[in-house]
Amino acid sequence: MRASTRLRMPQRTVRFTIRPDGRVEERVEGVVGDTCQQLTEKLEAALGTVERRESTAESFLQPETQNQTLPAQLN
Amino acid sequence: MSHFSTVKTELRQLEPLVQALEDLGYTPEQGEKPVRGYRGQTVTADLAVAMQEGGDLGFRWNDQTGAYELVTDLDLWKQTIPIERFLAKLTQRYALNTVLSATDREGFQVSEQRVTQDGSIELVVTRWDA
Repeated sequence: MRASTRLRMPQRTVRFTIRPDGRVEERVEGVVGDTCQQLTEKLEAALGTVERRESTAESFLQPETQNQTLPAQLN
Repeated sequence: MSHFSTVKTELRQLEPLVQALEDLGYTPEQGEKPVRGYRGQTVTADLAVAMQEGGDLGFRWNDQTGAYELVTDLDLWKQTIPIERFLAKLTQRYALNTVLSATDREGFQVSEQRVTQDGSIELVVTRWDA
């Protein structure tokens, strides 16, 4: 990690879009490791069947870029 | 790892289902309850909503699908919205309640919640990790 980012605590962000028919789209940002997997598995167990799953672009970025994700990039 | 998933919501748990019905203004009763239909015929459900007009609403656990399913006499459907719309609204509310309680348990806080023009609920939860 770079010195400039070491001062910041990493922020884990999960975005959900719950469609009018109840379908849930989940986008996990800036979560590295098992924590994310645990949350996702719990949610999916409670909710239903996972229809689709893909890696987002963030998974290819370095951890220190996590906080730079802008809403505009997601819409 | 970051990822994107789409989940088709099923009514798998009783608690968020009860909550969702209450959110929509219904008063569900738990336990084996009779659901009234045409000419007073009844079926037994695990969760029932007695209606003043029309047939009752019931939810029965289906072992094969591992989810609750709606049981009601469609001929007596007197709600203001069609049954498909009712089920969609209920499922959306169920999904929201499930997501809110699961993320809360994992220490996430809601930083944004809004309804978009197409009726979707957008929810952003965050957590700061040391």
